[in-house]
Amino acid sequence: MLRESNNAFSVIESVHVLSITLLFGTIAILDLRMLGLVLRTISVSSMARNVLPLTWSGFAVSVMSGFLLFWAEAEKMYANPSFRAKLVLLTLAGINALVFHSTIYRRAHEWESQHVSPWRARITAIASLALWSGVIVAGRAIAYF
Amino acid sequence: MSLHAWFMALAHSPLGRAMQNSRWGFAVVEMVHLLGLAVLGGSVLIVDLRLLGVILKGESAITISRELNRLLLGSLAIMVLSGIALLSEEAGKCYYSPAFRWKMVLLASAVIFYFTLHRQAILHARSGTPKFWPRIAAVVSLLLWLGVGVAGRAIGLL
Repeated sequence: MLRESNNAFSVIESVHVLSITLLFGTIAILDLRMLGLVLRTISVSSMARNVLPLTWSGFAVSVMSGFLLFWAEAEKMYANPSFRAKLVLLTLAGINALVFHSTIYRRAHEWESQHVSPWRARITAIASLALWSGVIVAGRAIAYF
Repeated sequence: MSLHAWFMALAHSPLGRAMQNSRWGFAVVEMVHLLGLAVLGGSVLIVDLRLLGVILKGESAITISRELNRLLLGSLAIMVLSGIALLSEEAGKCYYSPAFRWKMVLLASAVIFYFTLHRQAILHARSGTPKFWPRIAAVVSLLLWLGVGVAGRAIGLL
């Protein structure tokens, strides 16, 4: 049905792009805070508490819209190298976030108000920026293969 | 020179020629444009949601706006520059695209609004419960930027 309806595909694609903007834009600002580049006066955990619900909403909508887009072209997607790269990068971004939240973030109260975070938190922030940028680049490249 | 002549001049400029002749040029510049969009969208959202009193209520709206101003204008600059390169590849098509015209009008409105009424709203917001006008300014700002994005997406479709 989706494959046959050009309009539905375009609308879902637009929702997908907007929700990724929400996801990446909010996580990028949190990452930049952890690197000490913006909003240094606000603690990391206060930023995380306020920003992560937005990130998760963006993630939920992009996964749902992404699944619908995949469904419409599943066969083509399966063999698409960019699609595979996107899934790998997405998994790595997930693991990066999981490791951060289960280790260094647990002790956030010890370092959250420092202007520059400990090196492990900075590495996580750089990895997060790089991996999510990669997800966007690979996602855009899907259409070119 | 008419507006159409400017568009044609861009299409025939060295930049336009390079974009039209390169196989991956458009794709790469489009990716940069999208990354800029994500950062711009995130900054706009956080500033406006603070104005609406949805997030970071304990922090001053002025501080948040001042801090994110660099990020917002930086990503906007990246988007404008990459946007000009994208435009140079298909300037003739964009000149006649209703979606492109809407996007430019909305972009101009969003930028003018950001530097005038939105700035005033930030200065009046202070901390605590947001007042009526700052809330309206936040909603108008979100709608304008959202409109720029939707119209931009539509350029490729219409």
